[in-house]
Amino acid sequence: MAADFWVSSHYERWIVDRATLHQARAEDIQFAENPEYLDYLPIYFANLITKLGKKLQFRQRIIATATVFFRRFYLKNSYCETDPFTVIAACCYLAAKAEESPVHIKVIVAESKSLFSQESYGSRPFSSDNGKIAEMEFYLVDDLECDLVVFHPYRTLLSLCKKEASDSSSSEEGETEDLGVGIGPDDGPRYWGTGDGQLEFTPAALQTAWSIINDSYRSQLCLLYPPHLIAIAAIYLTFILHPPTRPDSSPVAAEHISADGARRRSSRQAHNPPRAAATPKKPQDPIAFLADLNVSLPAVAAIAQEIISMYTLWDRYSEDSMCGVPGVGTPSGEGADADGGPDGGHITPSFLSAVLLRMREARVMDASPIAPSVSRPVAVNKRLERAQAAG
Amino acid sequence: MLDEWSSNILQHDPMLLYRHKRDGNHRSVTSKYEILGFISSGTYGRVYKARSLSEGGTIHAIKKFKPDKEGDVITYTGISQSAIREIALNREIDHENIVALKEVILEDKSIYMVFEYAEHDFLQVIHHHSQTLRASITLTVLKSLTYQLLNGLVYLHSCHILHRDLKPANILITSAGVVKIGDLGLARLIYEPLQPLFAGDKVVVTIWYRAPELLMGAKHYTKAIDCWAVGCVLAELASLRPIFKGEEAKLDSKKNVPFQRDQLLKIFEVLGTPDENDWPGVVHMPEYQSMKRLDHFQSQLVGWCNSRIRGPQGYDLMRRLFMYDPDTRLTAKDALQHKWFQDEPKPTWNAFQTIPQQQIPPHRRITQDEAPSMMPVPQHMSQQGVGHAHMVAFGQSQSKPGSSASFASLSGGGGHYGAQSGGNGRKKARLG
Repeated sequence: MAADFWVSSHYERWIVDRATLHQARAEDIQFAENPEYLDYLPIYFANLITKLGKKLQFRQRIIATATVFFRRFYLKNSYCETDPFTVIAACCYLAAKAEESPVHIKVIVAESKSLFSQESYGSRPFSSDNGKIAEMEFYLVDDLECDLVVFHPYRTLLSLCKKEASDSSSSEEGETEDLGVGIGPDDGPRYWGTGDGQLEFTPAALQTAWSIINDSYRSQLCLLYPPHLIAIAAIYLTFILHPPTRPDSSPVAAEHISADGARRRSSRQAHNPPRAAATPKKPQDPIAFLADLNVSLPAVAAIAQEIISMYTLWDRYSEDSMCGVPGVGTPSGEGADADGGPDGGHITPSFLSAVLLRMREARVMDASPIAPSVSRPVAVNKRLERAQAAG
Repeated sequence: MLDEWSSNILQHDPMLLYRHKRDGNHRSVTSKYEILGFISSGTYGRVYKARSLSEGGTIHAIKKFKPDKEGDVITYTGISQSAIREIALNREIDHENIVALKEVILEDKSIYMVFEYAEHDFLQVIHHHSQTLRASITLTVLKSLTYQLLNGLVYLHSCHILHRDLKPANILITSAGVVKIGDLGLARLIYEPLQPLFAGDKVVVTIWYRAPELLMGAKHYTKAIDCWAVGCVLAELASLRPIFKGEEAKLDSKKNVPFQRDQLLKIFEVLGTPDENDWPGVVHMPEYQSMKRLDHFQSQLVGWCNSRIRGPQGYDLMRRLFMYDPDTRLTAKDALQHKWFQDEPKPTWNAFQTIPQQQIPPHRRITQDEAPSMMPVPQHMSQQGVGHAHMVAFGQSQSKPGSSASFASLSGGGGHYGAQSGGNGRKKARLG
């Protein structure tokens, strides 16, 4: 299975259609004062998981796995009926174990407590009781249906792209006989068209693609599409952002829409400015490369579009106010937050924290005293768009 | 405005609504299964035989993990790494020669893994032959068991899973004579690991089945360690006793892994002392200097096989599984193609097909006394666990006698550790 995505729990049970995604938010929409703000929550939570992961010194793959666990959990549950902060801590705790890099529960609890008590997250009290997280882990594993092996686009990216320089974030000790999901000798023909050649990316371009994949976890894409398609979409966007591979390329619409956003985000993680370093050793035809991949290019385009939309949303979202360091740009919107309107057109974590809290308050008020709970039907039409998603 | 009740919930028990909903939908273990009896226990917890209350009353084995504890204090530290592995891997795999996981039930801080039931295991077959029948296992049965074991291992390895604890007690056989590899509690995915294999588990594989590269302190190891264990299992099936029955040197107080002198000597006595020709990498092994101080032996494998595995092909298979150099050791895939299996008599899919009914080992014994309630792990467990106070986070535990009693466990498993066989007991060290 590690070699074969097509028989994995990931493929068989956790690629869902958009109707399922929409239905998963039904209750939240009911209790949200303005459903529009719900669109920002995937970014908000993914950033939180990343922050917690960084504090725990997680490798990127653990952060990605924790994010996927979180997304899958909220396919079946509502934000307003749960405490997403407890869920995030449990996701990180579980993901570390699932990726064979366990961290003691005390450390998870301590770091969660310190992160979530920041003002931008509503200064909420976070229990220092290990048992609460351990208990949540139990429910989480159950809601995840015990499917804990997750595939990520990084693997496809690295197997499609020749590495020109050693890349600290990727190569691992271990067996190296395999190339990647679906690209290994076992099922190569499935989408490896011509069978020869790899992309030649400069380290900077590879880093850009890697960062775009990181960013893709701010969306719900990991629930909609197989990871190799997300990787290919990231490669596609990288072509656009690194035009030297196609010097005469006509302007691509997407570049105007999103390149700014994407480049800014990516360069935050990539230490080299992408453009400066992007000079490939020999000319390469990215169109031919993409065409040679035996995958659904419309699906790749749809993913790219979704990533671009996510960047557009993200541009309206400002993390600056949340560093929690006094004096560093305390946001314009502090006062406005309380009243429910983001100031200056930017959505801030504080604002979303308040939105979230009000949703949860509304839900609890509605429930008190607890009525016999009615379980929400879940994931009816998982298979609807399966064929399309599989590419 | 929020009433007091509501704000209290949000402040102090924010998951109340969720839990309420989830618990309301929960179907308990005992509402789904009738517990027929207790099979065995070990470091991980206890195994029960159970009948499904639906689907025609299928028989299952239910493995109940005991909650992780830290020292003597019952602080609940979450699901152990071992349980996470076993659950995660079992959810992904599906093969006739691997014990199938039917479902996992999480209830009352305990994890119940419901497996398909297997009536026998290799260890029980060995005991049956050595003690009851007083005869060796027939060549057809020997080949069938080995072939199916390899067939399951090829699958695991193709999934990039190292089993890391192959031994007779962990290899089950159904009443239909189908071999099922069990207990993936030490198994690990080796596909692009984030951590080197050595980082997580300092000691893997029960000492008698541990490959020489592990005994020599290798930091990195491969699928070849499972193939060595298959060689040991094959030899044990053929001779009805462990081929390399060494004494395990215990971890010192600082948890340093000691040099396994006795176990290596037991191997060298049969296979000869390895040199650079046999194993070019041996000089780079951390324990190479210690090894050089041991007495020197010549290989006796030909003689060993003559009296126990009849025929040159059997010897050849054994020799290749016991290659010192992990890189030249036979892979599971190649072993499956070995000529020994193509020569008459050929292996059968029902391993018991060729033997009379009365020679088939008896059914697994179960006991009634402790089973009925499947109560949480009783207090007296702590009396059994010698190394109890040493338990550390992440499921680490000291090796202790009796940890062998695994899922497969011994046919007589009634009592606690009374089921131990052989003078030494079978020791497995688990770390993390």
